[in-house]
Amino acid sequence: MTAALALSGVTKRYDSFALQDITLSMPEGQIMGLVGVNGAGKTTLLRILSGLARADAGTVEVLGHAMPAQQVAVKKELGFASEDMRLYKSQTLRWHMDFIRSIYPGWDEAYATDLLRRFDLRPEQTLAGFSHGQRVKALLLLNFARRPKLLLLDEPTTGLDPVARDEVLQALADILRDDARSVLFSSHNTRDIEQLADTISFVHQGRLLASKDKESFLDDWRRIICQGTWPADEHAWPEIAMTRQNGSLLELRVRQFSDGLLGRLQAQGLDIRSAEAMSLEDIFVTTVRAGGAA
Amino acid sequence: MKRFELNLPMIKHLVAKDWILFQKQLAAYVTGGIFALCLIGMAKGWSFYLGSLLLLVVMVGISCFSISTSLLVERKEHTLAFVMSLPLTPLDFYLAKLLGNLVTFFVPFLLLSVGTLAVIAFTPLPDGLIVFSVLIFGFVTLAYSVSLSVAMAVESEGWNTFAMIGSMVLINPFIMLLGQIPEITHNVSTERVVWSVPAVAILLVEIVGSVAVLVATGWVHCRKKAFY
Amino acid sequence: MQAPATERGLYRGFPAVHTVHIKYAQWVAVSAELFLSTTDSTPMYQQIVDQITAKVMAGDWKPGQALPSIRELASASRVSVITVKRAYADLMLAGIIVTRHGMGSFVAESSDLPNDLLRAEFTQHFDAMLACAARLGITRHEIRQLLDDEQADPTPDTSGGSTP
Repeated sequence: MTAALALSGVTKRYDSFALQDITLSMPEGQIMGLVGVNGAGKTTLLRILSGLARADAGTVEVLGHAMPAQQVAVKKELGFASEDMRLYKSQTLRWHMDFIRSIYPGWDEAYATDLLRRFDLRPEQTLAGFSHGQRVKALLLLNFARRPKLLLLDEPTTGLDPVARDEVLQALADILRDDARSVLFSSHNTRDIEQLADTISFVHQGRLLASKDKESFLDDWRRIICQGTWPADEHAWPEIAMTRQNGSLLELRVRQFSDGLLGRLQAQGLDIRSAEAMSLEDIFVTTVRAGGAA
Repeated sequence: MKRFELNLPMIKHLVAKDWILFQKQLAAYVTGGIFALCLIGMAKGWSFYLGSLLLLVVMVGISCFSISTSLLVERKEHTLAFVMSLPLTPLDFYLAKLLGNLVTFFVPFLLLSVGTLAVIAFTPLPDGLIVFSVLIFGFVTLAYSVSLSVAMAVESEGWNTFAMIGSMVLINPFIMLLGQIPEITHNVSTERVVWSVPAVAILLVEIVGSVAVLVATGWVHCRKKAFY
Repeated sequence: MQAPATERGLYRGFPAVHTVHIKYAQWVAVSAELFLSTTDSTPMYQQIVDQITAKVMAGDWKPGQALPSIRELASASRVSVITVKRAYADLMLAGIIVTRHGMGSFVAESSDLPNDLLRAEFTQHFDAMLACAARLGITRHEIRQLLDDEQADPTPDTSGGSTP
């Protein structure tokens, strides 16, 4: 089984931003969620993977082919939709569908019709009349209906109303059935990633902070409420990302939880009230606030 | 880089796409051009001036329109990313853009040029005008080539507008320049089609210049290895 | 008990003829969907474990019956494959399901499974009750008194024998 994608030591420099030394891979049949603030490098990463940008250093392999040297072969099986992509305003959705169909033999007209109904889109309408959400859905439809082996999606649910978001997640979940197809999507809706991703990759200031399977990643983090005073000795506690104290109440956000840690905290004289899992959103904000070390 | 492995089917698709996208507006311009030819053909003083002015405007319009909509608007409207995600290389893309542009310009342009020459030949208008017209058309072609290469090289809308308008506005001084050359003016009002040495020289410069600019543009862009 | 051929993994051996595969899977999905919530404080893998356990205890899924494939369940319930894998692993550890190599997962054959699970739940509640009583300082004698009081004036039975 070839890896869906494999990056090694990838670097890309722009004037005010640089993607540095990214090493990342994903096997076939998985969904990877990309998390990061705006400007962290997610879009650049996706562009490099889709052949729209060329890395300055490192190797890029997508669906077993070297990029961008073999980008034509890759793009035949690749679907790419990004936030800044637009369609031709003067043309109808039907024109776009026919255009794509004439290029890709994998186009499934029955599936496309089904998606039109589910996404509530009118094919005879010109793109100029589409709202933001409809435009995003149209782009996704043009990609999904081809059944590409790898889908690279930049913010597929951002800006969508709850119903539209639900439909898109459903369409993504349908792809899960095929163990030869893979998806890499970036999203600010961390709940989407929490729900559907097998692996979470965390990008911050051009670096890859973490790339781990979702269950272990979420298991590593805890929010511990205890009573007592924090010794304020951060160096002895590298596992703890953030602390907040209010009177005798202490909140610890832990990035590397273990039962041993609880024991050590208790040995410090702290009275543990609760140790709960954190949502991906909280983990995200904590990591960024804590200075970007995951 | 496999420079000669062109994705011809893809290029055909893109050129066809560009053609379809601009058919309607192009038809409007050509209609205007035909109307201009009618005016010229009437061979009356006022209709000749009006008609030739309109014809020039239409030709300039076709030139700018073709470049602007296929390149500049695509950039502004961000449809580039959509096209670039199709299975093609940067080489295919730029070649298709170049070809698409050439097609959307030259088809109506040649139609109107030939139409003008026919009108001159088959109406009471002095056939000497043919040389004059051909030289002007040659200038339009050269200005178009320059504008196209600027548009492909530079993203700034300001520079592109400057290049398009600047090169087209130079038509007036060019026509005046032509009027200063005795070998040309001497034959304009006659029925003889005389290709004097200066005329041929100017025409050669226009043709060679256009071709050189287009080839250089193609060469520079087709060596680009990535879109961003 | 023979699981129906349709559920026994026929779709796993199916060639990747996409349109047929999807249509078939849609038919199967009706029985494979669980009701998961991302806003629930229980982690999703735990929700899966709980709901499958509930289905087994209620008799929805009979002992020996084939479970949906991991991918099928993931797709129908809109959750990642890795989460379903984890849930199935937990269920295996708990003895509720068994995995036969190359054939998929099945509800454990033990015919007493629903009862075993209910009994395990009862024991859990019972122990918790005793621990709570200890913290409050309630003696065994007082507990017996409470039981006698309850018997004399019983509260209405809220569940019909299956897990709420």
